[in-house]
Amino acid sequence: MNDLHRLIVNKEHHQYRHTVAWNLAEEYRERGLSPIERMSDRFFRMCSEERAVILEGEQTVFMRTVANIPDIFTEDEWREIKAHHYIHELGYMSNLSPNYYGAISVGLLKKREDADEYGKKAIDAVISLSDKYLEEAKRIGREDIVRVLTRVPRYPAESFREALQFFRILHFALWLEGNYHVTVGRFDKYMYPYLKADIEKGILDEASALALVEDFFLSFNKDSDLYVGVQQGDNGQSLMLGGVDEDGDEIYNLLTRLSLEAAYHNKMIDPKINLRVSKKTPLERFAEATELTRAGLGFPQYSNDDVVIPALERLGYEHKDAANYTVAACWEFIVPFVGADVANIGALSYPKAVDTAFYRHLSHCQSYGEFFSAVKREIEKQAASICDGIKDLWFIPSPFMNVLMDCEIYGGGKYNNFGIHGTGIATAADSLAAIKKYVFEEKCVSAEALICAVKGDFEGAPELFHKLRYDAPKLGNNDDYVDSIAIRLLDCFANALSGKRNCRGGVFRAGTGSAMYYLWHADEIGASADGRRRGEPFGTNYSVSLFARVKGPVSVIGSMTKQHFLNAINGGPLTLEFHSSVFSDTDGVEKVGALVKRFVELGGHQLQVNTVNREQLIDAQRYPERYRQLVVRIWGWSAYFVELDREYQDHVIARQAYTL
Amino acid sequence: MKGMIFDVKEMSLHDGPGIRTTVFFKGCPLRCLWCHNPEGLSRGVELSYNKARCRGCGCCQAGCLHPECAPFGKCMFVCPENCLQTVGREVEASVLARELLTGAELLGHTFGGFTFSGGEPLFQTEFLLALAKELRGYHLCVETSGFAAREDFLSAIEATDYVIMDIKLIDPTLHKAYTGRENGRILENYAILRESGKPYLIRTPLIPDMTDTEENLAAIKELIGDDPWEKLPYNSLAGAKYQMLGKTYQM
Repeated sequence: MNDLHRLIVNKEHHQYRHTVAWNLAEEYRERGLSPIERMSDRFFRMCSEERAVILEGEQTVFMRTVANIPDIFTEDEWREIKAHHYIHELGYMSNLSPNYYGAISVGLLKKREDADEYGKKAIDAVISLSDKYLEEAKRIGREDIVRVLTRVPRYPAESFREALQFFRILHFALWLEGNYHVTVGRFDKYMYPYLKADIEKGILDEASALALVEDFFLSFNKDSDLYVGVQQGDNGQSLMLGGVDEDGDEIYNLLTRLSLEAAYHNKMIDPKINLRVSKKTPLERFAEATELTRAGLGFPQYSNDDVVIPALERLGYEHKDAANYTVAACWEFIVPFVGADVANIGALSYPKAVDTAFYRHLSHCQSYGEFFSAVKREIEKQAASICDGIKDLWFIPSPFMNVLMDCEIYGGGKYNNFGIHGTGIATAADSLAAIKKYVFEEKCVSAEALICAVKGDFEGAPELFHKLRYDAPKLGNNDDYVDSIAIRLLDCFANALSGKRNCRGGVFRAGTGSAMYYLWHADEIGASADGRRRGEPFGTNYSVSLFARVKGPVSVIGSMTKQHFLNAINGGPLTLEFHSSVFSDTDGVEKVGALVKRFVELGGHQLQVNTVNREQLIDAQRYPERYRQLVVRIWGWSAYFVELDREYQDHVIARQAYTL
Repeated sequence: MKGMIFDVKEMSLHDGPGIRTTVFFKGCPLRCLWCHNPEGLSRGVELSYNKARCRGCGCCQAGCLHPECAPFGKCMFVCPENCLQTVGREVEASVLARELLTGAELLGHTFGGFTFSGGEPLFQTEFLLALAKELRGYHLCVETSGFAAREDFLSAIEATDYVIMDIKLIDPTLHKAYTGRENGRILENYAILRESGKPYLIRTPLIPDMTDTEENLAAIKELIGDDPWEKLPYNSLAGAKYQMLGKTYQM
């Protein structure tokens, strides 16, 4: 850890921050400004208020000194807007992948020529702010920074360092404008040409390039505490590596490797590393990537090109856009530059569908088939209700974001699809398997008795509870009995969305993610027929149930790669968790890498591999001060364990670890 | 042909090359004081009790009519935390092989093979041979203490592709003191292994003051010369498993 790293870890740079107490909303209301005029004005003022601070030893400059961003609408106005429109989360269009390269390669002055009046004003504000940094660099005698900022962001970057600095300015400005979950995109695709040129010219060698990437990656952690989502760490700074280009040629270059290494060295939660892989990816790359897993940061997260690209094409994405996919804040598949999808607009709860059918229909169903049809109808009803509930969606327009996208996104981008998560598939499949086996096949428990036990949270039914929870078939054992139920559930969900059009003219995409709904949806129902007690959460994303006893990671992969992801590609990974000791030698690392490769070959769509050490986590709950740097993966992002709320901490501890 | 096993582990590390599945045979003629698989010692089915999770609700004491529970005097099918479980499964070789092959097929070319461990797999040599026959075509590895009849040892190494064998102690008195048996047969079998032409690995568990002494390690080195040799660090976590089986860990 160098001094800069230590300073950021210890949050010493927070001393340069201040807050502003402006009542912009009231002023804008009085002046009668339109939403875009307000956004434009606020961005200008934020840029003016920011001051230039250059930390000792840093190469990539720009960090936030204004901690808060005042609202642009008064509460009454916001209520009025919400009365007429569907507002997604905070109201901004998030989870976008802007075209940074499009600006880095021509310079902001050139971008300014084609921008509208708001775009021009935003660009001017960014340049003025950059000039403050230039002056500061001159004042403290940092000639290297002076040289960089004399060129960028006005003019195109001519070196790797200038390109990284240019990126930082753009990314910083997008957050400052109020946008959130601003992703990084395919970093080793668009940045590599700059690195390659510098290496060829002899300006950089591998070691100096690595140092630059490490410094650049550190910059993602300077302001990330201000980018809070549902929990600290949920900030969407996802970076994609690898994958094929539109001609099917694989990208895996020096920058791919340096990025993996830099993330390993930095051991910080940002940027969040993703890796695109396919059947063609050689085994040794999986081993290289697993080295990063070993760092315990919960990444890289893998996405399978063989599945994702054709599945996106089926949804109507052009090949060149599908082939260029990246991930949103967590794992939702999005296309850069032209995609205006809202990949996380809602979530379906499979257990809720089973629960409703269970209480309303089970007692008069003659067969399992009949009961499953009732569940299917509930899935369709829920899907229809989610889709129909989203009308007149409106976004706060962000002028600078618009500058960096290749099409006008607020009026409707090239793609305007909505993604719906699917929560608790294992809880639902396990419940259905238990019902099928015990009520309809073995007939060892009547529908009434089962309903009564589940309703009463298994009070007074210890033997039935034990049977349901520990003896019944569970998803994750490569057992077709349950796996086939999960296949049908996912198909039902995908079919229920198929053919529906959303209010922006796009389609709906079925997903396998859960986001925070694994806790929220679990609270909506009581106990379930899989032996889950009232109040127990579901697994995250596309996972087996928390208490399922499974044979091991191989069987889990067997169970979780059988489903038809070509019809359900909004994203959401299978999570495999290994005890940290598995990674203690290269043999373990290579074996985990080989398992990941096999997952890809078997047609799995997305995978997250975590290292956990239960004893350490429990100790960290007791002595948080000793574990400030302990990182865990939550549902699509990594976080510092001790900064999480207790319920998220407990879930991480409860999750299945295959202690090998 | 039936045999008694206590576990099947997917993706076992440290049990041979590639992603492997390991079958743990139940029953062992040795009683090494440091044994980290106490559930592999006895041939019979045992009851394991997870004291750490037990909430003391008393459900298991209420009495039940399950024939499986009769030998233990406690009911295994009511515990809300699943603290009571039997360890040991008697299984037909062909049935077990079918289960094992499902996992192997799933892994395809990434699959490394099967490892027979224990317990002592040569304590059930006939079962081992039957299983090996069913799994023909896959890379097979056996992990043995070497404490077995000459014929059993010969046929087991013949039926497998790779042998991992323990040489724990050279001094016969100490060997008897720490493992319950003398090492004459083990050393004879080692000589057979050496001549067999079969690839093998010698392992020594490093137990402080017992096997991990200068004299012992030097003596092993003298015996095995340049053989591939792996020294396993002492696993201090084994104590918990003894408690679950109602046994006393003597370390």
